[in-house]
Amino acid sequence: MDVLVIFIPLFPFIAAIIIGFGYFSSQVMGLRGELSSSDVARNAIYLSSVSAILLLIADLAGENSGSKMVGQWLDSGNFVVNLNFITTGFNVVVAALFSVILVIITVFSKNYVHYEPGFRRFFFVLSLFSSSMFLLILSGNAIGTFIGWELAGLCSYLLISYSYERPVAVINATRVFVTNRIGDTGFILGMALSFYFAGTVDWTSLNGMAETLSTPTVTVISLCFVVAAMAKSAQLPFSPWLARAMEGPTPSSAVFYGSVMIHSGVFLVILLQPIIDKAPFTMGLLVIVGLATAIYSYLVGLTQTDVKSSLCFAITGQLGLMFLECGLGLWELAMWHMCAHAIVRCFQVLTAPSLIKNVNGNPMKPASPFFTNRRWLYIASIQRFWLDPITDRTLVRPVYGLGHDLDRFDKNIIDRAMGDPVSSFTAISSLTQIENEARRKRVDEIQMEFVRGKGIVGKLLEWVANIMSWFEERLVLRGIGMDLVTIGRNLGHAANMFELLLLKPRYLVLFVFIVLMLAASI
Amino acid sequence: MGILSTLLLTPFLGILVLTLIPGGNTSQIRFIANSFATVAFLFSCWLVADYNQLYGEIQYYEQFIYNPAFNSAFALGVDGVSLPMIVLASLLTLIALLASFSIVHNVKSYYISVLLLELGMLGVFLSQDWSLFYIFWELTLIPLFILIARWGGVRRGAASINFVLYTMGGSIFMLISLMAISQYMPEHGGTLMADMTEAARSMPRNEQLWVLMGFLIGFGVKMPVFPLHGWLPLAHVEAPSPVSILLSGILLKMGAYGLIRVVVMLPEATLVFQPYLMFIALFGMIYGGVLAWRQSDLKAMVAYSSVSHMGIVLLGIATLNFTGITGAVLQMTAHGLVAGALFLLVGLLYERTHTRNILDYSSLVQVMPRFAFFMTITLFAAMGMPGTVGFVAEIHAVIGGYQQWGNLMLFLGLSILVSAAYAMRTVGMLFTGPVKPQMREIEDLKLYELTAAVILIAAIVLLGLWPTPLIDLSVATITQMNDFISQSIQ
Repeated sequence: MDVLVIFIPLFPFIAAIIIGFGYFSSQVMGLRGELSSSDVARNAIYLSSVSAILLLIADLAGENSGSKMVGQWLDSGNFVVNLNFITTGFNVVVAALFSVILVIITVFSKNYVHYEPGFRRFFFVLSLFSSSMFLLILSGNAIGTFIGWELAGLCSYLLISYSYERPVAVINATRVFVTNRIGDTGFILGMALSFYFAGTVDWTSLNGMAETLSTPTVTVISLCFVVAAMAKSAQLPFSPWLARAMEGPTPSSAVFYGSVMIHSGVFLVILLQPIIDKAPFTMGLLVIVGLATAIYSYLVGLTQTDVKSSLCFAITGQLGLMFLECGLGLWELAMWHMCAHAIVRCFQVLTAPSLIKNVNGNPMKPASPFFTNRRWLYIASIQRFWLDPITDRTLVRPVYGLGHDLDRFDKNIIDRAMGDPVSSFTAISSLTQIENEARRKRVDEIQMEFVRGKGIVGKLLEWVANIMSWFEERLVLRGIGMDLVTIGRNLGHAANMFELLLLKPRYLVLFVFIVLMLAASI
Repeated sequence: MGILSTLLLTPFLGILVLTLIPGGNTSQIRFIANSFATVAFLFSCWLVADYNQLYGEIQYYEQFIYNPAFNSAFALGVDGVSLPMIVLASLLTLIALLASFSIVHNVKSYYISVLLLELGMLGVFLSQDWSLFYIFWELTLIPLFILIARWGGVRRGAASINFVLYTMGGSIFMLISLMAISQYMPEHGGTLMADMTEAARSMPRNEQLWVLMGFLIGFGVKMPVFPLHGWLPLAHVEAPSPVSILLSGILLKMGAYGLIRVVVMLPEATLVFQPYLMFIALFGMIYGGVLAWRQSDLKAMVAYSSVSHMGIVLLGIATLNFTGITGAVLQMTAHGLVAGALFLLVGLLYERTHTRNILDYSSLVQVMPRFAFFMTITLFAAMGMPGTVGFVAEIHAVIGGYQQWGNLMLFLGLSILVSAAYAMRTVGMLFTGPVKPQMREIEDLKLYELTAAVILIAAIVLLGLWPTPLIDLSVATITQMNDFISQSIQ
């Protein structure tokens, strides 16, 4: 029955292609198009759900061999990447569970986004996401998981900016995507390191080699993957992205952040259980991060007044607990916790909009006196512990500044050196220049009338005077006099700029990085 | 305390008093500043009366060593070259203050700056120690910068910066030269002018050339000498009129005065440079004159005429003979009076009409006859009419130059011709021609303006008609200098 595993990600992928091409060729327009595209998506996810459940039954019956090799994706020297799937154990359970949840959400969405302008787009992304999620869960090697991981991130980006005409949605989507990319760096590094140390990117063989690898190696590899997991599961210090991600439509919130994608971090940690078990430092980190996130989410959640935000912090809190359980070695508990949480959250998030309607007018429960009496804690909670401003100050602004500086370098030096087609340097740019120009013209006109000599001697004098005046104006006044001042001012300005840039921490940091890289390369 | 310290102390006391009184009472401030300037002028007059003309050495010598480590001394003294300058400085400060009634903003700091400027100028001419000289030399920059930058015209910012940069740049070369000479001083030799003169003469010949070069740049910027005059047109045009009087009347003379001192110090090197100096002087005279002829801005015209007239001073110095140096010293006084009077009158005219363009004026003689009278005499003096002090100076320079270079002095004649051209044209355009409606309502000179103008014009004419007292004042010192020089270069 191993062969079923291929179809689980394949069906939604085909559905996504059909919807995408239909949309692209304007075949699925109007109400009929809506119907057809939602039908395609729903039927595809039905089929993969059935396949997943069948696979689970087969696994429980002991029919599965454990893995299914489809073919070779890449073969370069000793770097071999297979297209293989895991067909047993926790992966299959999670696949079956998520497939059911995805079915529910797809059905729910059909009515929820009815008549919305982005209806087809929504179902395209949803199908693509389902496919990538199954790939993430079932892939037998890190590369496949990473492809699913990235595609899921992309889909999340696309759905947060679902209503892309609103600037806030787009900003939030970008922010979430970029935050996730930090985790992706960890994932890529982890893959590279596992290939370097263990010679494989296959999950099964990697886990199998856990015993033979030394503790520091295991620690480094596991740390990289755990950073990726932390980012994906919105653990501290990446937590703020989840609140921003609630920008998308409710079904997408449910599917991405309530029940499915948000758990892929925990899933990855559980997947790497043998490796992480060997690395006490990573376990410690999981405990600390999980605990901190749980406490943070609890405190912040107390002051949230809208349903989506409170759900969002409840989710991170629960995820924090799962990380804590993983760190403490309670893997079984973490698995159960994850599955149960996925189901409960799916229901909660999907019912959130109607909940607002139902509880409308109910008095709000005040925060506990313990909390309100500690004002600093209350403020910190309302401000979500200033995590976003801190990130802005320490990361976003320096990078922005760096980009700004590079842009200026480009404009002022590269463009000028290469010959900028639109030359703004000779054009008049300030009022002072216009005034100077006008004054010079006026003076010149008067001069011409004024210094007209008569007779031979007069003409000679006029001629000599013109030459001398040119000399005076060009060399003595402008050349030595004004240009000296201008050059001095420009030099001073440049020195000031240089000083200012040197004082900015981003260049210090950059400098340190360069030195470290040089040191590493030597 | 000697008379010279008292003279130097007078503007200083004036500054102290002005800083202590409140800034609101304008007339009180004006009165105090004018009184102190008058007292300083009276002191300098007394000095002239008391000065022994037959004796060419330094007189009223005072010394106080303020830096024992280097034997730098607060040494003051006057001789026949510096005494006319001192009188001129105190006189022109008084005139400038009389012309300052149009300044209505920040009056207190304005008067303090002017008195500080007077202190610096007097200090330059009085000091007999190079370190002291340098300190006072640089001291004049600060008030001038403030005066131009705060009360100047539209482009005052550029003008003031430009002026300071130029002068500072020149001063650095001067300082380097002074240090080079001090290498040859005995241990703890001090920086007295007389001692350093001895030291400079003991320097090797090629080093003397470099040292003179440094001095030429340093003093040449201030004088100004032809290629280094870039700051002058802008600064003179943008400075408020009273400051232009001081700038052109005395500040330029500081350069010439320093150059005379240096030439006496390094005669052999000057002999090497003599042809170049002559060329620069003649070319600068024609250059300044032609450019003055080309200016339609009255102040710019006077500024360029200053370049032309200071060329005569350089020419006189370059002759290295008695008549030529006498001409140079006389021209310093003459140009001080003439340029002061010109800027005074042009400034007064500008206050009334707010235009400096000569083309806007016409037929002024009908509304301001007194102004026309003084302006005409001053312009005639500027072109060296006999009967004015300018003529006496020019004739000396021409004779001195003729002794040295012969027929080349034709070019000096040419430059006088050019200056006659622009002077006559200015007289014609200002005072004659069709009556313009906007030039009908101009007030003639007021009483205090008249006083200022009368003092200057009287000096110009009287000293032109009877120049003997002026020449006698300097002749003993110049004779002594000439003896020094001719001994060295023989």
